[in-house]
Amino acid sequence: MSTEVEELSELDLSKFFDRPWVTIVWDDPVNLQSYVTYVFIKLFGFSKEKAHELMMKVHNEGKAVVSAGTREAMENDVSRLHEHGLWATLQRDIDG
Amino acid sequence: MGEFKGTPATGDLSVAFSNDELHILINLVEQLLELLGERNFAHHYQSDDPFAQLMTTHLMNMEPLSAPEDPVLNRLLPNAYADPEAADEFRKYTEPRLRQVKQQNLMYLREQLVFPVDHELPKADIAISDPQQWLIAINDVRLALAVRLGVTPESFEKYENLPDTDPQKSLFAVYFWLGGIQERLIEHL
Repeated sequence: MSTEVEELSELDLSKFFDRPWVTIVWDDPVNLQSYVTYVFIKLFGFSKEKAHELMMKVHNEGKAVVSAGTREAMENDVSRLHEHGLWATLQRDIDG
Repeated sequence: MGEFKGTPATGDLSVAFSNDELHILINLVEQLLELLGERNFAHHYQSDDPFAQLMTTHLMNMEPLSAPEDPVLNRLLPNAYADPEAADEFRKYTEPRLRQVKQQNLMYLREQLVFPVDHELPKADIAISDPQQWLIAINDVRLALAVRLGVTPESFEKYENLPDTDPQKSLFAVYFWLGGIQERLIEHL
């Protein structure tokens, strides 16, 4: 019985910790579309098409995930986005 | 005014401003620098000054910083986490540096803007030696102005319908003018 519980909790924990962290950029009415695209290319090395697509996602859906990885890496991405005046947060990837 | 000449590749990118435009922009940059400086006086000390380091260390050991009350600072130094506790903890370690980077960008922009004023040049051709830093500084000024003006996606239409006598009209005009400068600067990168 106790073994079973331990196995279950182990399974749950691994599922939880396997979820990566993500950086989310939120829409705001000030940053120009061309500027947001420029920042995405500069910070993440996206192609112009990919950067434009993500920018439009932010614009149309109110937010977009721009990167995923370790918590430290996402904190670094958020800091760099804040330096550039974009509105960004990090969180665990709750959508899996 | 606000016309760009040259290219970043040849290192001679410049923008022409009228004296009025120059003074408006310098004024905004200086106001924002003052706002950003109110909680960080590290730049008044030499970095090798042991007393400055003592104070910095002391600051780092303080309680987590909470989000700034001023809406402009809150926009320029936003929370990194939705959870307030995590946001404050992260802010404790990162906000002083973020403030410093923004101050450096604005100081750089200010230096370039005051050059023709200090030297009483007849034409204000502003050399843009570092277009990327320029762009970020201009963007921060726009963000700050937008917060004070309460800019929404409908603001342009509202601005166009404002009577010329409305005191907000000229502030909105500066905001949209800066957007145009930024747009053209990006085209030149």
